[in-house]
Amino acid sequence: MPNPPDRTRLPIRRAPFQGRVDRTLAGSQPDWASIAPIQAPDGAPNVLLVLIDDAGFGNPATFGGPIATPNYTRLAENGLRYNRFHVTALCSPTRAALLTGRNSHAVGFGSVGEFSNGFPGYTALLPRDCAPLPRILRDNGYSTAAFGKWHLTADGQQGPAGPLDRWPNGWGFDYFYGFLGGDAGQWDTCLAENQQIIGTPAGFYDKQQPFYLPDAMADKTIEWLHGVRAQDPRKPFLVYFATGCSHAPHHVSQAWADRYRGQFDGGWDRMREDTFARQKQLGIIPEHAELTARDEAIPAWDDLPDRLKAFYARQMEVYAGYSENADHNVGRVIDAIDELGELDNTLIIWIWGDNGASMEGTVTGSFNELTMQNGIPLSDEMQLQLAERYGGIQAWGNQIVAPHYSAAWAWAGNTPFQWGKQVGSHLGGTRNPMVIHWPDRITDKNRLRSQFTHVTDIAPTLLDVAGIPEPTHVDGIEQQPIHGVSFAGSFTDADAVERHTQQYFETIGNRAMYKDGWWLAMKTRRIPWVLTPDALAPYRPGVWDPDDDPVELYYLPDDFSQAKNVAAEHPEKVEELKDLFWTEAEKYQVLPLLATLGGFFGLSPPLPDVTKLEFRPDVQNVMPGMIPRIYNHSYTISADLIVPPQGVQGVIVAEADHLGGFSLFVDDGRLTHTYSMMGVFIYRQQATQPLPVGEVSVRMEFVADAPKPATGGQVTLFINDKPVGGGRMEHTVPVRFSAYAGMDIGRDNGGVVDLSYDDRKPFAFTGTIKKVVFDIKPHLSTVDEQVLHEAAQHGHAAHALAG
Amino acid sequence: MAFDDETIDILIGGYLSRTAADEDFGSVRRCGGYLHAVTVIGRDLKGNLSAQLSDHTVREGARGLAAVGFVLGLVVPPLLPLTTTAGAATGAGMGLLLHRFIAYELKRHAGATIPIGGAGLIVAYPKTAADKVRPAVKRAITVAVGEAKGHHVRALTGAVADARHKAVTASV
Repeated sequence: MPNPPDRTRLPIRRAPFQGRVDRTLAGSQPDWASIAPIQAPDGAPNVLLVLIDDAGFGNPATFGGPIATPNYTRLAENGLRYNRFHVTALCSPTRAALLTGRNSHAVGFGSVGEFSNGFPGYTALLPRDCAPLPRILRDNGYSTAAFGKWHLTADGQQGPAGPLDRWPNGWGFDYFYGFLGGDAGQWDTCLAENQQIIGTPAGFYDKQQPFYLPDAMADKTIEWLHGVRAQDPRKPFLVYFATGCSHAPHHVSQAWADRYRGQFDGGWDRMREDTFARQKQLGIIPEHAELTARDEAIPAWDDLPDRLKAFYARQMEVYAGYSENADHNVGRVIDAIDELGELDNTLIIWIWGDNGASMEGTVTGSFNELTMQNGIPLSDEMQLQLAERYGGIQAWGNQIVAPHYSAAWAWAGNTPFQWGKQVGSHLGGTRNPMVIHWPDRITDKNRLRSQFTHVTDIAPTLLDVAGIPEPTHVDGIEQQPIHGVSFAGSFTDADAVERHTQQYFETIGNRAMYKDGWWLAMKTRRIPWVLTPDALAPYRPGVWDPDDDPVELYYLPDDFSQAKNVAAEHPEKVEELKDLFWTEAEKYQVLPLLATLGGFFGLSPPLPDVTKLEFRPDVQNVMPGMIPRIYNHSYTISADLIVPPQGVQGVIVAEADHLGGFSLFVDDGRLTHTYSMMGVFIYRQQATQPLPVGEVSVRMEFVADAPKPATGGQVTLFINDKPVGGGRMEHTVPVRFSAYAGMDIGRDNGGVVDLSYDDRKPFAFTGTIKKVVFDIKPHLSTVDEQVLHEAAQHGHAAHALAG
Repeated sequence: MAFDDETIDILIGGYLSRTAADEDFGSVRRCGGYLHAVTVIGRDLKGNLSAQLSDHTVREGARGLAAVGFVLGLVVPPLLPLTTTAGAATGAGMGLLLHRFIAYELKRHAGATIPIGGAGLIVAYPKTAADKVRPAVKRAITVAVGEAKGHHVRALTGAVADARHKAVTASV
């Protein structure tokens, strides 16, 4: 019997050739084992790892929430609910910790994928000595695939030039279908497949059965599973199914949203009380748990003007329908596994939220998730009117908007806790529901588990049950240890020893230290969704002393929800945990605190030195973080065209869509430029004369008024260097047009910038484009340039933090 | 109503949606105050302009009292988002023709300044009706009110100029 392979060094080395080779086949003996694929250990289960996005402890009905989650509940009723499972309070960090088993800062993900900076804990670049779970499983004989949201590839690496080693395939997934960024439109997703951006699928243009990402994710997952099984009936699989839901934009059909019509008319305070009561009834929270108080940053429902209540209620109806749809599509995947006859031997871990529900919609909510990130202050009345502009509140969730609900709904979704996403100091940001289902192993069905568990524990637990050791070396590189611990013991033993006894938390300066039931919360005073200069001033280097932040101390065995601050009664415990936090922070690369906001405080990356970029006509789907940095500058877009005798129409170049973007196009024979300032202000300039036939040079020139963010300016259109039209743009986009929509030459893929050609989309150019050139004019003053560069970093940070 | 010596207010309301402007358009018409003219104009998401006029506006036009003229110089302030409502015809016969003419003029002159997706409400009323008219404008994002005194036509023209000035100043 051959020796078992050494699985501590990956890739697994093959055993020496056991056959015999002679000069000819005569006397030669093949070694068939040498070409057999690596086998997973006997009994290694299939794994379905499901991660919902931006959702709270009190959202799913399975945990007492108002959102119907029948598939989550059916798994829970045949498996286990975990009510003390913890995440990191932010998207990428949770995902990095989930897939590596290590603390997020230790693997460079103290912040999100878009926000890569020069401190070790914040590079957004996975270190080579921290091989992730999919790589380990793949090298140990698993088929691996990821579907949906990724958010672990740095913003500037999301094109064909890469580098590609930190795309999903580089993390160890055999197959990837989804999107690389922090969020995506569910109707008009700019998709990636393996190592290519494939753009918005053809189904987007199908009016009868339009593309919808959650459906497509389930379809693709099932198709992949069928393909794997068609080839190999025994090879275990890892499916990482990370939904774009329930992150903004909250996109779902009206039919799903209408399932909740009227259900939230009582408001968020009522929703919270009802959820809390159900949580107790279900036994999800202990009888002694208290409902925490509402912070004054969140308005009372009863204080809202009556005329706005329907608007706010619809926001939550859409979110709920969107979330229930996610449950439905996960259910389809589960059904497919069941149909294959493999449900009993598939370990399903389903985490409802990578952080608490998101408060990034600010108090008003927004018709366009990026208005907040671009620093556009909009009152509730303005938001309502903009919703009306784009179809009314019944259209909230449709293709024409990119909505985010009010922070108050998020807070209610995090019942019974305080705060939510981004607030790593409190359970509202860090504690999420988890259900585990594995009939082959878990016989104690429909039970609750209350061991303290953390997202870093998932990977070691999976390795534990699969019989795969933590590798010491991968590709010859000695590995850092995994920080999480297996909680597999709790699968079969309700009283299993709690192994995760100590954990730090840190997100954007909000921090906590947990140890043996005690939780020290150290929240900055900043309201999580406020990133104004005034709000940030107290955190400037040399001004902020973290030890001066208010502290709250909770003893969780007696206080499940963090309702009773006992810091005053236990000053020695406060000091002990404060000291422990600093020790852990140093150990895991959390320092310097607030590195995420370094761009606000003068720690910006070097100024880009490329100001002129050329695009050939077949370039499409340039990701939004990689388009020419025209923001806050004067710039020109010029194009060399060939216009045939019959004339032309169509798009020369377009970025993103009508909720933020620009398009230079020809319609009715006239050169036209449309610029959408986040769908709030839309400017259009058109040439006064038609394009001539033959070789034509066209140009759009924007002259900024001043070196300041969101500067206004003058647009002039040129044909063969002769001015032919123009107009003012009073406000421009200071930060980013879109979170996900790409830039295209010769067409406008996905949602279009100018709705006048929506019925002709993608409105491909009918002549010939030789090339398109962006020329960004640096400001005359280096100081101005640096100031603007820093301003752009601020916005970039704001965008990143919403990831 | 005295025509030779009156104080006229012009209110210009800016909106981000046509729906909101329509609501105020209706609200003003029902407010019970005397109105010289009420007009809503704007641009839909494809860029098409349309205008809706109240009967009062047509009436003013019929009197030759610059019901058209008072909007000729209308400049939508830079931050004023304006939209429109579909032009529901009012009046008949001469009234209808006049309505079409006024709407045409409105669109022709406002076209260059009204942003896509926005709407504007323009109300002309005697100062004495302000207590009823002003509260009826509930949803405007920006409001500028100009006033002028004198003969009706002169007062109307002066009030438009004052409102324009205030609206532009407020948006800077």
